[in-house]
Amino acid sequence: MSELAAAEIPTVADFSRTFRRIQTEIHKVIIGHELAVEELLSALFAGGHVLIEGVPGTGKTTLVKTLGLALNLSFNRIQFTVDLMPADITGTRVILSGDDGRREFTFAPGPVFCHILLGDEINRATPKTQSALLEAMAELQVTVAGTTYPLSAPYFVMATLNPIEMEGTYPLPEAQLDRFLFKVRLDYPDEEQLVRIISSTTGPDEAGVVPVFAGVEASARIESLKLLVREVIAAPAMDQYAARIVRATQPEHSRYVGDSPRSMHDEMVNRYVMFGSSPRGAQALIMGAKVRALLDGRANIAREDIEAVAVAALAHRIMLNYAAHSDAIEAAQIVERVVKTARAARG
Amino acid sequence: MSFPRQVTRADQKLGAILIEMARLRGRLNALAIQYTAYRVLAILVLAGALIFAAANWLAPLAFLCATAAIAIAAVAAVVNTARAGWAMRASAVGAARIADDRADLKGRLTTIVEVAPRANRGALWSYVVEDALAHREEFVPARIERHRIEPSVWMPCAALLVAAILVPLALAHRTALLALGDRAADVTVDLDDLHLRPADPGDSAGVQMQADAATMSRLEAKLAGDGAGAGESSAGILSRARSLASRVQSKLRGGSGARKRRLTLKLADADGARASNPRGDDAAARRHHRTGDTAGQFKREHLAGKHDVPLPPIDKSADAEQQAQPSDDRANGTEAPGLGGSGTSPETDSTRAAADQHGDQSSNGGAAHGIGADPGSLFGSASNPAMGTEGFEISIEARPMEHGAKGAGEAYLPPKVRTPLSPAQRPDEPIARAAVPAEDRTTIERVFER
Repeated sequence: MSELAAAEIPTVADFSRTFRRIQTEIHKVIIGHELAVEELLSALFAGGHVLIEGVPGTGKTTLVKTLGLALNLSFNRIQFTVDLMPADITGTRVILSGDDGRREFTFAPGPVFCHILLGDEINRATPKTQSALLEAMAELQVTVAGTTYPLSAPYFVMATLNPIEMEGTYPLPEAQLDRFLFKVRLDYPDEEQLVRIISSTTGPDEAGVVPVFAGVEASARIESLKLLVREVIAAPAMDQYAARIVRATQPEHSRYVGDSPRSMHDEMVNRYVMFGSSPRGAQALIMGAKVRALLDGRANIAREDIEAVAVAALAHRIMLNYAAHSDAIEAAQIVERVVKTARAARG
Repeated sequence: MSFPRQVTRADQKLGAILIEMARLRGRLNALAIQYTAYRVLAILVLAGALIFAAANWLAPLAFLCATAAIAIAAVAAVVNTARAGWAMRASAVGAARIADDRADLKGRLTTIVEVAPRANRGALWSYVVEDALAHREEFVPARIERHRIEPSVWMPCAALLVAAILVPLALAHRTALLALGDRAADVTVDLDDLHLRPADPGDSAGVQMQADAATMSRLEAKLAGDGAGAGESSAGILSRARSLASRVQSKLRGGSGARKRRLTLKLADADGARASNPRGDDAAARRHHRTGDTAGQFKREHLAGKHDVPLPPIDKSADAEQQAQPSDDRANGTEAPGLGGSGTSPETDSTRAAADQHGDQSSNGGAAHGIGADPGSLFGSASNPAMGTEGFEISIEARPMEHGAKGAGEAYLPPKVRTPLSPAQRPDEPIARAAVPAEDRTTIERVFER
């Protein structure tokens, strides 16, 4: 029996309708970036976290804040700097004096205790501080001084990266990158979008975001929608297709790739990829595909759904070598090439 | 209780989808079988036509090579076609995937076919079935695969057309060859000038050799010697290959050796002619002496003491059937073993052969003399070299002569012509002899004394 009782399961139509409403509310503030917003919401309902990469001024922080407003969930923001300590994120035990004069250690929760967390310019903090988020992102809990504190669901971390100011930054470790379900890229808006941004942000009126959920039911509704996503049926052929794509991102001669006659390898991967995607990449493919299937009114995923989320799900999990940097090859190009190869292989 | 009714209805819907998938699968597999069958049939028809044409057009060895090549190519093509046909077959999931792709159903049918056998199908299973059934019109077999007949049906038709062109052409070529054989005249060949080797089995029914008993005996010995030596050599393998190819060719042609007109090859035995001719310096003997040990030719030491080798049995019945013009002088003759045909009377044929070589007026007027152009009469009798000589010598007597090459008179001497010198030239004049100085005279004398 499913976790959800029949009465609790929203329908496919409910999911699609709710999703579109959230999109609409976000786009009241965010002009353009339709794909980025869709991927952001997909990651939310798939139960993952998002890494947002974009040049300054493209609306990364605004996007996250608007999402928090639309979902009517608690929202915190951490500006990562080089002197930020892990305790500044997770919280720490402080000595507090009681009314009776007794002093005792009390846990003061950090900004990580919320529903939606924005880690702004996460690559400016040291790896030690960055890794303070690992437990929260993966296990929805925080351990401080030997005591584990659970986080309340839904929990959604959005971290932003500035790709051009690399001095004094600490690239995210692979383990932490792997925790993000999707990596969303915010590009410069085109001219028409820029005009709309100017007119909407420099006038006296500010766009008012109407929360989609009431404050009390927001968490429960989002959790039920997340459970619905997990109920979407993935046929074994689709699981196999996702696995083949992930395997194809791994170089053929990598010592971490066993010989398999059924794995496919692209010449571009062998040349430019140092390490391919982890198994979390396959999970991200399937979960993202499930959200897309629901948005399309289906309760089953198709290969097209997997291919559509491949770049967002796999690009940040692929470690390129120096040849790729020398030839200005990006991970997204590798993933697109792999998807093309997989599509050709299935005929 | 509405629950059981809902389950039954859901199962009915699922059954309807699965039935459509089964029908589609059947159609796809039928097409795969047709694909294989049509192509294999086309390959076989084409290969058969080519082999038949080769049997009528090519010589035995060429036919053997061509047949082997055609057979290998045909087998490879059949194997490839079978593999392709096997790959075209559709499983239940494969048929669903094809339907999904062609009807753009986004994996609905694949999911249903793959998940249907599961016990736990998930909370959204009924939605998936309903959703797929809503697209039922899009995945009926007739829309997914329009063909009932595999388009490659034209291939066996084309192969039959090619065969219908090739076979009559080959038969016409064969008929023309037979007609040409009917016009061939008998050939008389001198035994010593004949390049002897084991007969081509493919032509054994068409060649008849006639000779006197002694000649046939020598021929038999030579053939036996060649056959023994060739058994283990490449020539033997070639001979067996020819034999095999010839048998296959004969079967493919559908005709027997009796249909071929025989070519009568009359062997003129020089020894036999010398025995019947009292003149000891006859041309046949000289020809034996001057003949080198070329391939297949007799050498005298091989023949010594073998003239009384028992002759092969005479197949007179075959001779009577196959000789177009039986004559009295052939009735008691012998025939070459394995070559068929009637023999020839030793007296008549050997006498006639010898007479032919001497240009006897009583013979055919030299008509059969072609092989034995005898230079003996030009230079007189030649000396008898020792037995077993493998070659011959030519001695040339030469002396200086002042006559021309034709010996008709004085040798040609070019006339002397005086040409005037150019002004820059001066005529040769002797240098004035000078007196040897006295002091050098002793030295010069010593030098010349040494």
